[in-house]
Amino acid sequence: MDLPVLVLVVSFAVLLLLNVPVAFCMGIAAMLAFLAMGGMPAFTAVAHNIATGIDSFALLAIPFFILSGLFMGHGGIARRLIDFANVLVGRFRGGLAYVNVLTCMLFGAISGSATAAVSSVGGFMVPLMNKMGYHRDFNAAVTITAATTGLLIPPSNVMIVYSLATGGSVSIAAIFMAGYLPGILVGLGLLIVSGVISIRNDYGKGETFPLWESVVRFLRAIPAMLLVLIVIGGILLGWFTPTEASAVAVLYSFILAVCVYREVKIRDLPEILLQCGIMTSVVFLLIGTSMAMAWVLASENVPQGISAAMVGWTDNKALLLLVMNAILLAVGCFMDMTPAVLIFTPIFLPIAEKLGVHPLHLGIIMIMNLCIGLCTPPVGTCLFLGCGIAGTTVTKVMRPILPFFISMIVTLLLCTFVPEISLWLPEKLGFLK
Amino acid sequence: MSFLISVKKVLDRMLEGLVIVVMAVLVLDVLWQVFTRLVLKDPSTWTEELAIFMLVWVSLLGAAVALGRGAHLGIDYFVGKLPARAKLATEVLVFLSIAAFSLLVMIVGGVDLVASNLDLGQESPALRVKMGYVYLAVPISGFFLTLYAVIGLLERLQRLSSIVNRKS
Repeated sequence: MDLPVLVLVVSFAVLLLLNVPVAFCMGIAAMLAFLAMGGMPAFTAVAHNIATGIDSFALLAIPFFILSGLFMGHGGIARRLIDFANVLVGRFRGGLAYVNVLTCMLFGAISGSATAAVSSVGGFMVPLMNKMGYHRDFNAAVTITAATTGLLIPPSNVMIVYSLATGGSVSIAAIFMAGYLPGILVGLGLLIVSGVISIRNDYGKGETFPLWESVVRFLRAIPAMLLVLIVIGGILLGWFTPTEASAVAVLYSFILAVCVYREVKIRDLPEILLQCGIMTSVVFLLIGTSMAMAWVLASENVPQGISAAMVGWTDNKALLLLVMNAILLAVGCFMDMTPAVLIFTPIFLPIAEKLGVHPLHLGIIMIMNLCIGLCTPPVGTCLFLGCGIAGTTVTKVMRPILPFFISMIVTLLLCTFVPEISLWLPEKLGFLK
Repeated sequence: MSFLISVKKVLDRMLEGLVIVVMAVLVLDVLWQVFTRLVLKDPSTWTEELAIFMLVWVSLLGAAVALGRGAHLGIDYFVGKLPARAKLATEVLVFLSIAAFSLLVMIVGGVDLVASNLDLGQESPALRVKMGYVYLAVPISGFFLTLYAVIGLLERLQRLSSIVNRKS
């Protein structure tokens, strides 16, 4: 290994273990590697990468989807979706578990963040399920895993980050479309597991609703679901770029939350904008410093080296895909999604190209793996948030969440080895050339 | 120390206010772009550029606010296994690394970046803003990041010394 790469890897690992925030780990490691490379002003080179890495109009969709997600979370939109899902699947045995999963998927279809789904869907569903005799730890497990479907079902911020990390070889609209079927499949898997467990534990049947009540609930949920049509339809029909669509989503969710459902007050706005600004900055500092690190890796030909080594070790495509899955699952246990996508996309993309794996398919594989990572200890944003909301502990949730993990891994393997699940929809819509 | 904390409070308010305003303007700016294209059929030429400039500023200044609130995520699993004193010692190292990065890359590198861009005289096509002024966000954010890192560092050192004193 060349000196700059050695410096980069060692310093990054040490800083990461010390709990230096990942964005700074990448920045400092890149700075030291630039110093080791010599021949250019190291500090300026990193600063340049940070500044130019974030000045992109496409990335602007990220803060906007965060903001519309905040409006939806605070704005009572989740509750309307729950009421509607209850009409559809509430009447069966274990109905509330189905309602929980289905609402998370619907919520994911209008928002791009899993944590928003955990807090706004789980915050309402878990107490209700507790009251109706469902086991607390099971309720936490359902919410935690179901919330991740929102990251596969567009709009999804991590997909925008992936599109950026591929250097634009994948468009945001295309990866959005690739996510629908895998996201729905993950949701179906979770529904099946919920069903089996509910029947085994003899959880109660939910209510059936008279026709007029069903109609009222459907009508109340329509404004929230129309957002899918506006955002995704608008992008597909070429009315908006993804960034413009995200701004329209902000306007629409603002009107819903403030004027229609009236659960957000004007005086709450500064706090919501500030929250969005801070969440945005965290992501963007990561993007900026990861650009500096990616620059070093690329100039030292590291991704090509790794892919040559891996393909030289075996040319068995299935085995290599399994190895990539294993690496990503392990990484996901320790690292949050955004930095993991930013670090591993440039490394895995050349391997995928050599294996003939489409970049869209690779993106879906990566995101599915890292979604599982969001639910696993020791580092799992959804896991900790969900346990907090349900008032239980990570240790207690581990057993009930296991069957859900198994179903997610089965779906992951299915999507890994059947590329059509990811590629069929983008192809039909003309995104594959 | 208490002086530093009150300085930080004032700076927090200022930066937070700025983040809130710029976020709001960003949304309006892009909505205006959609409106001019779809409704007025006369697409605005400057909205996209303005949005990018504001995005650079808001995300870099917000990065300092996020540091002040401990919102930047790391991997706290391994450090969490250490005893309290050793953990505090690692936190000192964390803030030292952040301060060094902010000082060297964001301030020193950032000033150089701004200066070289101003020398080149590169301007943005629509708004004719010198790119050097856009990148000014880097050293300014670096100033706040360094300040917040130093405040965090001093606070940890103070706690560390009080633990050591109590033991002896």
